[in-house]
Amino acid sequence: MTSFDIQAFGEQFLYDPKNPLLFNNGFFVFFFAAFIVLYYWLRNRLTARRYVFCFFSLYFFYKASGSFVGLVILSAIVDYLLSNAIYRQQNPFRKKGLLLLSVVFNLGLLFYFKYTDFFIELSNTLFQTGFQPLNLLLPVGISFYTFENLSYTVDVYRGQLEPARKFSDYLLFLSFFPKLVMGPIVRAHDFVPQINRPWALQESDFAQGFYLIFSGLFKKLIISDYLTLNFVDYVFDDPARYTGLENLLAVYGYAIVIYCDFSGYSDVALGIGRWLGFTLPVNFLSPYQSGNITEFWRRWHISLSSWLRDYLYIPLGGNRGRSFASILFPALFFGTLFWSAYSLFGLSLLTASLITLALLSLFLLPAILQRNKQTAFTGMNLFTTMLLGGFWHGASFNFLIWGALHGFGLAIHKLWMMGPGGWVQSRNGSSTVYRIIMLLVTFHFVCLGWVFFKAGSLEIAGSMLHQITSDFSLSVWPAFFGNYKTVVGLMALAFLLHAIPDDWMSKRIHLFARMPLIVYLLLFFGFALLYGVFKAAEPVMPIYLQF
Amino acid sequence: MNAPRRVVSFVAWSTALLLGFSIAAYAWNVSWTPFNRINLISDLVHADSIQSATVETTSVPDSATQAANLPARRFERYRTAAQIINFQTDSNRYALPHFLERLHTLRQTKKGKIRIAYFGDSMIEGDLMTQTLRELLQKNFGGIGVGYVPITSIVAGFRQTVRSEYSRGWSDRSFKQNPGNAPLYLSGHAFSSQSDWARYTDRTRGDSSLLIQKYLLCGPDSNASIQFQQQERLITANGSFNRILLSTDAGRTLSLSATSNTPTLYGVSFESPDGIILDNFSFRGITGIELAKLSANWLQAIQQQQPYDLIVFQYGVNLLFRPMDKDFRWYGKAMQPVIERFKQTFPEADILVVSTADRAFRYSGGWASAVGIDSLVAVQAKAAFQSDVAFYNQFATMGGTNSIVDWANRNPAWAGKDYVHPNARGAAWLGESLYKAILREYRLYTASINRAKPKPANTP
Repeated sequence: MTSFDIQAFGEQFLYDPKNPLLFNNGFFVFFFAAFIVLYYWLRNRLTARRYVFCFFSLYFFYKASGSFVGLVILSAIVDYLLSNAIYRQQNPFRKKGLLLLSVVFNLGLLFYFKYTDFFIELSNTLFQTGFQPLNLLLPVGISFYTFENLSYTVDVYRGQLEPARKFSDYLLFLSFFPKLVMGPIVRAHDFVPQINRPWALQESDFAQGFYLIFSGLFKKLIISDYLTLNFVDYVFDDPARYTGLENLLAVYGYAIVIYCDFSGYSDVALGIGRWLGFTLPVNFLSPYQSGNITEFWRRWHISLSSWLRDYLYIPLGGNRGRSFASILFPALFFGTLFWSAYSLFGLSLLTASLITLALLSLFLLPAILQRNKQTAFTGMNLFTTMLLGGFWHGASFNFLIWGALHGFGLAIHKLWMMGPGGWVQSRNGSSTVYRIIMLLVTFHFVCLGWVFFKAGSLEIAGSMLHQITSDFSLSVWPAFFGNYKTVVGLMALAFLLHAIPDDWMSKRIHLFARMPLIVYLLLFFGFALLYGVFKAAEPVMPIYLQF
Repeated sequence: MNAPRRVVSFVAWSTALLLGFSIAAYAWNVSWTPFNRINLISDLVHADSIQSATVETTSVPDSATQAANLPARRFERYRTAAQIINFQTDSNRYALPHFLERLHTLRQTKKGKIRIAYFGDSMIEGDLMTQTLRELLQKNFGGIGVGYVPITSIVAGFRQTVRSEYSRGWSDRSFKQNPGNAPLYLSGHAFSSQSDWARYTDRTRGDSSLLIQKYLLCGPDSNASIQFQQQERLITANGSFNRILLSTDAGRTLSLSATSNTPTLYGVSFESPDGIILDNFSFRGITGIELAKLSANWLQAIQQQQPYDLIVFQYGVNLLFRPMDKDFRWYGKAMQPVIERFKQTFPEADILVVSTADRAFRYSGGWASAVGIDSLVAVQAKAAFQSDVAFYNQFATMGGTNSIVDWANRNPAWAGKDYVHPNARGAAWLGESLYKAILREYRLYTASINRAKPKPANTP
């Protein structure tokens, strides 16, 4: 018997912690259809359109994270009032005070929800304080919208931006639903002027938006979700059960997963934005095509790295100055490094000092070579930025290590370019072989970072690296391939797609602009069924190769 | 053409069509799995037709109980969680009588060794679960030492209770690789070499000043020798199975090297002269029926040197390798003779069958317990029942259906994301639960002997 469940129908509209709203929920289809119809109907009434947009965005937020929607509204109110006060305030001293208030409010919010438990546990371990962890849930999107708030008030303070006059403008800037959960981080000066613009699109905008949305969904829902569930999670969960080859492939797999997940979500946001007449900043540019780690950071999570550059690196002193913090964080890091090498890992005083000095010299050496003190401070500023940027990703030592690794990577790249790398490049810079070697080295360095990024704990990361280095044998490949054919196929496909140049599609998008609607509908159903096939696929269970 | 209108038409058309197909699928009872997964109204409609098409499986003709025509009421006790079940007697009596008696004597006299052989699959790999059980038993009843340690092991790096280092040349015959004709040890392995070395450090907790005996377990050789702590040592290995005491001192490290006269080696053992010794015999990927390869004569030879007081079989997850399997009667038929053989060759030992733990697959509604898990537990209980040995329902103890899903999703997690293996945290809890179940029987036992003998006056 088929029966319609009226209660379940009602519950669909409420927040369900077990099933928060994402782009791939069935509910999102209805949500978006209802929204787009209203948006079209109100296209010439900008104020009403804005209110509807705010309402749908906040409702999306509610469906994704329940009562935490209150935090977005609260922080929108606070920052709206503060930014206007900062703008009007003539007294520089008070102006600074107001800015400080905004910084304290936003970072305080972020700190409270994201880092309290980390520091409670740290204090319990180090000082046996025995505080109860608060076990706070992390409000969805908080890392993104607190950063957006900060950049906004800072820009207003710097006089680079006139604050939004209408509260609803500001609320929409913060809560704009396509970018709410996973970014990109947008800047008010890019975004706010677009809010009250009439809805005008080119034919190619529709095609471009379609391409972005569905290629993003393909990356996220098919490649990333399948690899995560059927391979990557198994190995990262308990690396000691797997051989070195499986561990290495799981790291490669995770490199794909994190990229497809993150960039896929960003692409969907960009695509939906495009359809609605908004241009959001590009967030990823095939990062694994990078030939060095500096380039990687210009291609990976661009909206975050440019945010960190403008609101962390430059205030620290950038490449022209220094500040107290340029010394503080590196000092803390190297102090902890020395201490843990000496007392946690039981290395001798000499070894611990040598390790610390060797890593420190990565930043001092360029300064000595260039006979320029600022070079060392620039290195420290960069290192601090990477360290704190790592910590932004999550409250654990693994993310700090990940950030530090990238900090070292940037320093090593700098040293390399001052020495042998620069020499090779000046003689043979465009050689394909050199480019491929550097690409592989960069990719593997990034992968080393991913081990720490993904591993649940330091022990897991250590065990993973141990398996890769000491238990590696190609002889398990046939058995591995036999069990994981689809996984291997998807990984190969992902790397292949990644190798396509970034502008390949945008150069050809006009070809699709005139395609009849029915073709798009067929493509849509084709994708939906493909998604259904993958969702229904029997899970690949791990085989434990070592007997 | 007006592009905003194009966006609207596309969204409206695709939504309307998808919704139309979704409703049509229910209206005409069309079921096609990939489409069911993207059906927009699947949360709103209860339709047996579509759902059941994916979930319904061939049902087992009969529950194991009825098929065997067992005295149902007594047998049904196998469903009890966190208790060791002795089917043959009423619930006030205790299970594992011989083992409990030995425990009682040990506690009173502090003399004698109690040996436990704990057989299992990857669930107890790396001494998971058994390390907790051993530690708690030793704490309560006495004894130190990790017990059996294989010469080489794929989980040597992972195991916390012993540090094993060895050269790479050891040859390893096992249930799975080159079993050969010569006997394999209880662990399912036998090792040989003429020149390789190995070093083991017992890292179990306990008073470091206590004496610990270090044994070598090996096959026969008329003039055998081995390098022990860097010195060549002649050993007498006349029996088909030999336990050779290498040293008794407070040291926790044993190092040995094979010589050209070294016989087949099975492993080493760290044991206190008195107390509980628990040997972990884990073998990844097996179901227990592999133990049938150990002949009765061979088991008797081991029994004479190493009489066990309790033998535990914990298998099952490796039978659940296909999500839809429900019929495991063949396994009961294959496993019961194994239990019987151990029962005959180790007449002094009590035998305990521990059921499979929970294991999940991804079904249409997400991760859920294997559909066949109840019938597997019943088959295992039936094998125990028919062999007249004790049974412990690990699946029910964990919390029954979907408990592994809950364990894997906990924060911190209690099980791996393969939804099969409890991690160190979950395994410790399982070990402690089994310990408590043993302790419960022990209390019943002491209560019954206290009832039996009149209390002397003036004692508290």
